[in-house]
Amino acid sequence: MFGKGENRMDERYSRQVLFPGIGKEGQDKISRKHVLMIGAGALGSGNAEVLTRAGIGRLTIVDRDYVEASNLQRQQLYTEEDVIEKLPKAAAAQKRLQAINSDVEVKAIIGDATPSMLEDLVKDVDVIIDATDNFETRMAINDVSQKYSIPWIYGACVGSYGMSFSIIPGKTPCLNCLLRTIPMQGLTCDTGGIISPAVQMVISHQSAEALKMLVEDWEAVRTSFVSFDLWRNQYTSLKMGKAKFAGCLSCGEERTYPYLDQENMTKTTVLCGRDTVQIRPSTQGELSLEKLAGQLSTLGYTVKGNPYLLSVEMGSERMVIFNDGRALIHGTKDLTHAKSIYQRILG
Amino acid sequence: MNKVLFFAHLRDAVGEEFLKIDASGKTVAELKVELVRNYNLPKLDSVMTAVNEEFAQDDEVIQDGDEVAFIPPVSGG
Repeated sequence: MFGKGENRMDERYSRQVLFPGIGKEGQDKISRKHVLMIGAGALGSGNAEVLTRAGIGRLTIVDRDYVEASNLQRQQLYTEEDVIEKLPKAAAAQKRLQAINSDVEVKAIIGDATPSMLEDLVKDVDVIIDATDNFETRMAINDVSQKYSIPWIYGACVGSYGMSFSIIPGKTPCLNCLLRTIPMQGLTCDTGGIISPAVQMVISHQSAEALKMLVEDWEAVRTSFVSFDLWRNQYTSLKMGKAKFAGCLSCGEERTYPYLDQENMTKTTVLCGRDTVQIRPSTQGELSLEKLAGQLSTLGYTVKGNPYLLSVEMGSERMVIFNDGRALIHGTKDLTHAKSIYQRILG
Repeated sequence: MNKVLFFAHLRDAVGEEFLKIDASGKTVAELKVELVRNYNLPKLDSVMTAVNEEFAQDDEVIQDGDEVAFIPPVSGG
């Protein structure tokens, strides 16, 4: 956009080059690196903008949703026009990012970040940034990271609360060491609400970590698990020295990468002869339907239920959730769309 | 005595930022079971626990004076 004049480009990154942690050498490294962004919602938008402005070489951004009005309050790359056009987030993000910095090679992938897609994508990636809205995809990212030895940066937020942790294979514990299993009914932005400052705080932690990794300043990478609550004024930094789990199936000696196995993933099936998709989560367990009904009513959805199931009207679709976590999404045959609706509510 | 802190929706469920209880001699897992029973909390299986600001496994034994914090991982993004 500026023409490729050396001087203009030097000027473009001059303030970042002046920063001692980066310098000329760091900027050269940044300009040759490839970042994989999984998700283009709130965290994906913000992280992608920071790294695009910072002048990374390549950015690949994966997302399965399209832009909706409820995104605009916090998803900084999108506009009202994107909502009217129902643009896929990955495509709308690419358009905006290329307008910000035409020197970055931005690739948009519109689709579900499945384990096999992740394995295809990561081969020449330097850092993976987690900007997803569910633990299943995070566990798949975690396994891919371990298998191909690529660092990734966990980030998540809900309400005024957020957290981040940098995972470096061979050095830090991994997400599976910390969680051991996929949490049932994780709070999501669609059930617990979200304020933009919480998003921005997570983005700051994730993108700062990404810059350290891109300039290969591994000593500077944070080893603690950060969590904060901006409304209640809490901030904690957990030491993780005792968190590595020797028997971990993702990073231990007897590793099997369980979350790259389709058997352990959420199953989606179109029900024969009906405009309905059935979703079966990977972990079975008992949901608190009563609590979920309360949250969804507060958000303005029409909710009906009994002790066995909950029926939720969601625009043109209707979701029926059973207390073992299984759900039917009526009004669609699109598997990815149905899974997206499900994970927005149940995490 | 021990100070037990709660984050995010757990704090709302308990109604206090922290509780003062005697948990010394109990494991983290035992304390979790007790809290779920006494404070009508959701299951704490996948909630991370910190003892004195350090990540603790479920079998860690809590000592008198330790500060315990429960940090639920969230999935929004």
